[in-house]
Amino acid sequence: MADLFPPLVTAQIDDKPKVDEKVDYSNLPCPVPYEELHREAYMSLKTDNFEGLRFDFTKGLNQKFALCHSVMMGPTEVPSQSPDTTIKIPTAHYEFGANYVDPKLMLVGRVMTDGRVSARVRADLTEKLMVKANAMLTNEPHMSHGMFHFDYMGSDYRAQLQFGNSALIGASYIQSVTPRLSLGGEVFWAGVPRKSGVGYAARYETDKMVASGQVASTGLAVMNYVQKVSDKVSLATDFSYNYFSRETVASVGYDYILRQSRVRGKIDSNGVASALLEERLSMGLNFLISAELDHKKKDYKFGFGLTVG
Amino acid sequence: MDSLKGKGKAGSKGASKLDLLKEWTNWSLKKAKVATHYGFIPLVIVIGMNSDPKPHLFQLLSPV
Repeated sequence: MADLFPPLVTAQIDDKPKVDEKVDYSNLPCPVPYEELHREAYMSLKTDNFEGLRFDFTKGLNQKFALCHSVMMGPTEVPSQSPDTTIKIPTAHYEFGANYVDPKLMLVGRVMTDGRVSARVRADLTEKLMVKANAMLTNEPHMSHGMFHFDYMGSDYRAQLQFGNSALIGASYIQSVTPRLSLGGEVFWAGVPRKSGVGYAARYETDKMVASGQVASTGLAVMNYVQKVSDKVSLATDFSYNYFSRETVASVGYDYILRQSRVRGKIDSNGVASALLEERLSMGLNFLISAELDHKKKDYKFGFGLTVG
Repeated sequence: MDSLKGKGKAGSKGASKLDLLKEWTNWSLKKAKVATHYGFIPLVIVIGMNSDPKPHLFQLLSPV
């Protein structure tokens, strides 16, 4: 039979990539941290749209140490009784910050004019163990909160333990199952509203796309998909569903990373269209324009800002 | 472990040990919160000013 059908050259070429793709299960890559599962989707879709003026000045004193001053003037929303109306109060504040960034230790502190201090610490205790802490401290009693995280990075898994104030304890674990797929789960227990919850997550990524999903017993199910169309363009879509309150939100967005600028736009199923443009005017000088149109609530927010350094 | 044993043996002794522990942790957390609130940013600045290459005090205070 072999004489009648000469061997096809294409069959041999097909064999080679198959052999290369044979999965080496003992040598899987380390997965992304559990809280960064939806990293690509959030980078494209969750933009920090602001309203008013924003001016950030970062002064580097050193390779590792920098001080930053930022001024924000604009209306801030105050929660109102009815969901239809939004109450905005014009405020202006100044924030001073100090950053120290070292390969092994990172300290970021910010203090505002109303006395609120936000602190973030990240330290690598050993090559595999990392401690992170973040805290938001205010002068008002019982309004401060802080959290500690201990991360352990194994060869193809990551485990994390979290402790927060008001007796919040959580743990999460994520494991690479194949070179492209990683699965994880988390458990948390909150002391004050005596609640505990379990969540599961999965992430599948290739060179061109990332798809991830997360389900939690608090009722939240999130799925998102990011397609990297080219080096400069990526498109993302996100779907979140709360199965207790039956609320769904779906959004579609794009992210163009160009040489001198970055544009991100998004449209939502709640009737919100938003966009953020960051343009690099010259070395160290960035200009930002943000717009968010909420057609359902008739709330239109526009902001502009400048970032120096 | 001691506090649990204490609770089993003599209720009042065990309860006061646990209470003492709770009170001590509350007190230390409060002090830690105040210390972090006032001291975190100065700590970052001190660590930064002592890193290589050492920046000048003038650079810290000037707006340029």
